[in-house]
Amino acid sequence: MSSLLPASFIIILTILIYQGALFIYRRFRRIYTAPIILSTVTIIILLLLFGLSYDTYMLGGKWIDYLLGPAVVALAFPLYQYRDLLKRMLLPILVGTSVGAFIGVTSGLLLSKWAGFSELIIHSIVPKSVTTPVAMSIAESSGGVMPLAAVFVMIAGIGGVLIHPVVMRFSRLTHPLGKGVGMGSASHAIGTATSMERDPLEGSVSTIAMVLSAVLVSILAPGLTILFM
Amino acid sequence: MSKAVTIILQITGLYIIYLLGTLIQNTFNLFIPGSVIGLVILFALLSLKIVPEHWFKQGVGFMIKHLPFFFIPATVGVMSYAYVFEGKGVLLILIGLLSTALVMGISGFVAQWMARRREAAHE
Repeated sequence: MSSLLPASFIIILTILIYQGALFIYRRFRRIYTAPIILSTVTIIILLLLFGLSYDTYMLGGKWIDYLLGPAVVALAFPLYQYRDLLKRMLLPILVGTSVGAFIGVTSGLLLSKWAGFSELIIHSIVPKSVTTPVAMSIAESSGGVMPLAAVFVMIAGIGGVLIHPVVMRFSRLTHPLGKGVGMGSASHAIGTATSMERDPLEGSVSTIAMVLSAVLVSILAPGLTILFM
Repeated sequence: MSKAVTIILQITGLYIIYLLGTLIQNTFNLFIPGSVIGLVILFALLSLKIVPEHWFKQGVGFMIKHLPFFFIPATVGVMSYAYVFEGKGVLLILIGLLSTALVMGISGFVAQWMARRREAAHE
């Protein structure tokens, strides 16, 4: 197989860049050095520098991507460990996440409509706060573009990780329950990964918020879109 | 069994659950992704004591410790759509960030307020 060599090279390079990012993050603890942000930026810069396309990167990248599914499945484990506490706090999580889903859909819709963007773009921005496959199917069924929806999901994910220290300070989120609901509702699995790194309880709350949010946004988006368009 | 073999076997187990989730999604034409259905399956298996914790403990620990790593290929994909944000498109990034900040701040605030009230009621 001729693609085996570049594929292994890309995988090893990605691991090295991630390890390097992890090292830098542990040293400086600044949010823009978060491993997900630093690794993504480094890889994009390298690809652009050598004139390589995303498809070329995915020769190796797809093997890492295959593990994303089982990585999401793994989130069930901490959820199980905190089940008693989470059961007791289910109502706050459910209400917080519902409010988040409603605000996410309406604010994305009204802001982009107000700025004068086309319906194609508006429908793609609406489901940005949920995990990629769900966001893409919501966008598609309402007349948006799937890859564009995926880009907005990344803005909500990476952007959320980037701005969360400021947002949390501003809204005085100090409790793991508030932080977890905020991260999971706004920044889906990428936010959850960041929460999990800080505190497994916050990460577990974020996991529930992420799952609930996917369901809630799929239900709310079509109705709210008709209402506000 | 060496630690590496245990981790690989357990990740294979997680992968099988993920495939099962995908199968269920496709069979019933659900909008929920297979990975999320897999998450619910594993939670049910653990809660109903069908599988013991130690079957997945080390594999899960490894996956969760390096969770951001598995997102890298997906996030690098943004580069193919950079052109969307040329000119007026920059506004879309700002809209995305503003909306994300609103969701995070308000949903978290509401949840935290309710959680603190419950805690106070328990004491």
